[in-house]
Amino acid sequence: MKQQDIKTEEKFISHNAWFSIFMACTFLFAGVYPILKQTNTAPWLSTVGPLLFITILIIFIAKGFSLSRLFVFTYKDEFLNTIDTLAYKHSGIALSFFIGGVYTTSDRFADSVSHATMAMFYITVMLLVYGISILWQSRD
Amino acid sequence: MQNQIAQYRKQAGLSQQQLADAINVSRKTISTVETSRFTPSVIIALKIAHYFNTSVESLFVLELDD
Repeated sequence: MKQQDIKTEEKFISHNAWFSIFMACTFLFAGVYPILKQTNTAPWLSTVGPLLFITILIIFIAKGFSLSRLFVFTYKDEFLNTIDTLAYKHSGIALSFFIGGVYTTSDRFADSVSHATMAMFYITVMLLVYGISILWQSRD
Repeated sequence: MQNQIAQYRKQAGLSQQQLADAINVSRKTISTVETSRFTPSVIIALKIAHYFNTSVESLFVLELDD
């Protein structure tokens, strides 16, 4: 494996972590906003859509994501592959606990939160834990 | 497991990135191995040992709880 490939992978996983955290914040906002405003309309088209577009654009411009890596689910570098696998495990465990918490307490907020909003919260938890786990494990 | 990689690297006057480039791994690999947060595979351990022209046993030291 070329050293350039490893540097690309390092850059990719770092951008991937920040992208996950940003998307988690976006989904959290999209989930919380309708609850706070007492409306069923999530601000997808007006806020989240452009934010998502700009984020993806910035990442592509920064060349963190290369199209060749987009559908590759393993890293050739041993350390990056290890922290990626661990981050998926952390993400899965966090989601399990969150679903467990929702299962035991769902009656309290079942009337005010829709299934769509809950789905957004599930995605938020997974993305947030994945991103933070990658950043934490790859600290110097 | 403790290791002497940082000492060998500093004696050779290398940065983490230079060592990483020499053995084809990421800089984070070197950084986390040096701080004992990541235990590398036999392949990486052998690559580092070969690079410093020494044995794996002189680079890595087992502790009692390993």
